[in-house]
Amino acid sequence: MGLFSKLFKGPEIDMEKSQANAKKMRALFNHVVEDGDQYRLIFGYTEDVSRFNYGFVHGSKTKIGNLIVGWNEANQTIVVVPTVPDLSGCGDPAWYRRSEILKAYRSKYPTDAFVIYPNAKEYIGINAYDWLDDEKLYVYVSQDEELAAFTDFFMNQFATK
Amino acid sequence: MPLGEMGALLLVLVAICIFGNLWFHLIEAILKWIKKQLTRHREPPAWHTLPSDEEDRGNG
Repeated sequence: MGLFSKLFKGPEIDMEKSQANAKKMRALFNHVVEDGDQYRLIFGYTEDVSRFNYGFVHGSKTKIGNLIVGWNEANQTIVVVPTVPDLSGCGDPAWYRRSEILKAYRSKYPTDAFVIYPNAKEYIGINAYDWLDDEKLYVYVSQDEELAAFTDFFMNQFATK
Repeated sequence: MPLGEMGALLLVLVAICIFGNLWFHLIEAILKWIKKQLTRHREPPAWHTLPSDEEDRGNG
């Protein structure tokens, strides 16, 4: 390996930390979802973008919400559990059963999000990547295989168009 | 443009930037306080802490 490739190599994933976080995700999910082991898990996040205008100062604010996303192929169900980047706790789960939702699709703009409308008034946009480096904002977990499986499930079984 | 004028312009821009930031945080703080007053009687959303290993094994 040359000097330049050593100097400029990208960030490396700490697999030990990733596996520990994957275990915590599982523990939290199983804690709040009955038969949690029936679901496969990935980490995702939502973005809440709001515009503000405070007189001569205006712009936009983005809030990130971390999510543990579980899916069960047999039941055609996605369960979303809100959490925090250090996985110290989680909120109550929200269930999205394919037979009950209004629509679900993968958006292209502004981000590649998995969008679910449980009804006409509400929606959730789930962003997911194989790994995100910023531990202050996101759960540190490497999930290439799980993300590929979730994408396949969402696009081929869950999406409504 | 003479160097002095350029420096003065830079200072004005920096002052505007600092004032804008202070203004933003002041308004944010006021809005946060108002929101807190309006929602203080509302129950906070449920929050479950990470179960300990022993507890987890007990459930499993």
